[in-house]
Amino acid sequence: MSTRIEPQLLEDLKAYGKVDVEACFNCGNCTAICPLSENDATFPRRMIRMAQVGLRDDLLSSKELWLCYYCGECTDTCPRQAAPGEFMAAARGYAISHYDSLGLGKLLHRRPFWAVVFMIILGIVLAGFMYTRHGTMPYDTLGLFEFIPAELIHNIGVTAMVFVALAGLWGLVNMLRHEVQRSGLRLGVRYNWWQALIDTIFREVLGQKRYREDCDRDPDAPPWYLKKWFIHASTMWGFLGLLAATSLDFATALLGIKETGAWVPIYSPIRLLGTISGLFLIYGTTVSIIKRLTKADRSTEYSTVDDWAFLIMMWLSGMTGFAVEVAIYLPPPQMWAYWMLLVHIVIAMEMLLLIPFTKFAHIFYRTMALYLHALKPIPEKTPEPVPAGTD
Amino acid sequence: MNSRPDPNESENPMNTPDLKVDALVVGGGIAGMQSALDLADQGYRVALVEKEASIGGKMIMLSKVFPTLDCCSCITTPKMSAVAHHDNITLLTTCDVQALHTNGNGGYTAKVQQNPRYIDADACTGCRQCEYVCPIDLPASYDLDMGATRAIRVPFSTAVPQKAIIDIEHCLLCGKCEKACPTDAVDFSQQPFTFNIETNAVVLATGFQTTPTDAKREYGGGKLLNVIDALSMERLLAPTGPYGHILRPSDGKEPESIAYVQCAGSRDQSLGVPYCSRVCCMYAIKQAMLLSGALPMADITIYYMDIRTFGKGYEQFYQNAKAMGIEFVHGKVARIDEDSEHNPVIRVETIENGRIAERTHDLVVLSVGMLPGENLGPIFDVQPADDGFAAIPDPTLSPSATGHPGVFVTGTASGPMDIVDSIIMAGAAAAQAAAYLETMRSSVAAGPTAIPEVAHV
Repeated sequence: MSTRIEPQLLEDLKAYGKVDVEACFNCGNCTAICPLSENDATFPRRMIRMAQVGLRDDLLSSKELWLCYYCGECTDTCPRQAAPGEFMAAARGYAISHYDSLGLGKLLHRRPFWAVVFMIILGIVLAGFMYTRHGTMPYDTLGLFEFIPAELIHNIGVTAMVFVALAGLWGLVNMLRHEVQRSGLRLGVRYNWWQALIDTIFREVLGQKRYREDCDRDPDAPPWYLKKWFIHASTMWGFLGLLAATSLDFATALLGIKETGAWVPIYSPIRLLGTISGLFLIYGTTVSIIKRLTKADRSTEYSTVDDWAFLIMMWLSGMTGFAVEVAIYLPPPQMWAYWMLLVHIVIAMEMLLLIPFTKFAHIFYRTMALYLHALKPIPEKTPEPVPAGTD
Repeated sequence: MNSRPDPNESENPMNTPDLKVDALVVGGGIAGMQSALDLADQGYRVALVEKEASIGGKMIMLSKVFPTLDCCSCITTPKMSAVAHHDNITLLTTCDVQALHTNGNGGYTAKVQQNPRYIDADACTGCRQCEYVCPIDLPASYDLDMGATRAIRVPFSTAVPQKAIIDIEHCLLCGKCEKACPTDAVDFSQQPFTFNIETNAVVLATGFQTTPTDAKREYGGGKLLNVIDALSMERLLAPTGPYGHILRPSDGKEPESIAYVQCAGSRDQSLGVPYCSRVCCMYAIKQAMLLSGALPMADITIYYMDIRTFGKGYEQFYQNAKAMGIEFVHGKVARIDEDSEHNPVIRVETIENGRIAERTHDLVVLSVGMLPGENLGPIFDVQPADDGFAAIPDPTLSPSATGHPGVFVTGTASGPMDIVDSIIMAGAAAAQAAAYLETMRSSVAAGPTAIPEVAHV
């Protein structure tokens, strides 16, 4: 197969972040300092080299892009101060935009102004659509779902989920097209398919093993609740918990157990899951926003519109959702809650719809990369022990 | 005032009169000594001011010089002696220049403080009887704290002048040295002494310092026992060194595997040092060769980003080292940790194959770079450039001129360079200073009105 060279690659990448890797003289410091880089997945220098010589397809098919959590060690110690960590972040944005075939990712990443305009318009359209279908606003009780019918929310939600799933799948297919070829996965070889999947989901995604154990060796050792992995995990657990709570609530409605919007005590399991998850989400995003505002470390020194949009939408959806919940348990009627619910649903829906095109898409690609990385052929015979730590 | 003081007298601060010389050389390392000698040989009267108790600078500490592998003591000591015994040179050790003022006639007046040796330098014969009786054992600073020394001592075996000095910070004032001294030279009552030197030209040769070993957190921040800097290895290799063997610090074992980490402080913007120090490739190769002789069974590895062997005979030197079996690994060492036996473990991406290697050695030598020494700004009004070394307005055509008439800078005070280049530049600075002295002399002789008018064409 011929190798395709894109001389414009490095210039193209600059639209996705603070890319300054022309300064790189390929000393290899970043790769060797990286706590996550290992011999079957070396980065970031390999990626930087690809960008320097224009190997676009190789760059796009590198699972290594997604194995990086941006601890900033490479950027701190780079002898050329070429910011390899920032390059990796920009390359991930580039990859998200190019796995997507609708062109929306490119718009959101490369045109900060239009990205903001687009997001505002999308929000207004969603809000307008829902407002045209609003019902009554009861004064004596807080009938939230009489104002915005539960069915409407469910229908939009399901549609959005299907759209996101399809777009995500499409992106994954684009990602895998090259990666599978490059990683040498072969038919007729037994792989640890299930073990790798379980490890990926539970140890890596939910347990944040690599982030926790390797990538968060901050020499100044902040308390656990300020460690990078915890802030990230808190956000992610919060998001997944809320997704689960919402889905379960929908399921109970479908099964006729409980109507959406029917009052439940705060300690009912699904409500409790949602509340706790919401608190986690708010905590994680708040700390992240403060870190970006104060440029607390190398990884938050430079922020793109993508970084901000992702964080702000999550934070707003968490805060508005929490406000609605407070209103539910205050004596009625809290008339502002009707509007708060509208805002909450609009932001949550918009965030959901934009998942495949923003930084949020890493939820697909990182999981897949971690899975590919965990996949190992099952040897036919007992292998000879390989001494650890040697070259 | 017009007569040159007796050079022997100059060692005694109480008898040092104010001096009038043609040129003041600040710094007694190889560049300063060479500039002083080059000026003195032309008949100019020179005062050489050195802050330490002996001249010789960094060069006298080294084992051998590249690429000829000449013994460093053997070629530096004669220079030091020549300086000390030159009729036209007044040698002033333990002296700091505290201020430099123009005197209005194109010349300068330097205010110099001589710090006390607590020894009558005229009386001291360098017999070292005092050193033998002194009860205070201290890490030997000359051997970079590897050997031991005493609170009263001749700084090192080939020190010039061969006069004792008391480290008053550590002295108990027990008086044993005073009793032991056959010439009654010990004098605890000495005080700092300030005097003026009038000069027409100034040559600044204040040298450099090396990157501290704790500069890089990823290299253990100076806390790993068996990670030393290259200057320490020079002392270990030198015939006058502390142990007479190559021993590693943690357990005194002879290392069987030694690694050099190149660019440990140079070409590293994370330390604010973007420049190449120009000497580390060659000294590492030289040390590797010397180690191959001292420890024939040892494996020696040099981890490098680029090998820069640009001088006369240097590339051949590098090729010889490769032929001798010294291993060169292309890759910047990113991290040094240690195992439970204090063996340093190096983590590096080997650029040749793009793989990550973790290799354990017995001893790691950091090829530390050259950092600016003295800041010449406050006293000499020679401001540091972006790299911290003296700013030179016209580095291409006038590499020694500072922008102040009659003030020149030379050697590593002006930027990183090796001994060969320091000597060349010392000669250049001396020649420029001599030219300046001649212009001054002719203008004084002719008087200000006699300056010929330049025709405008």
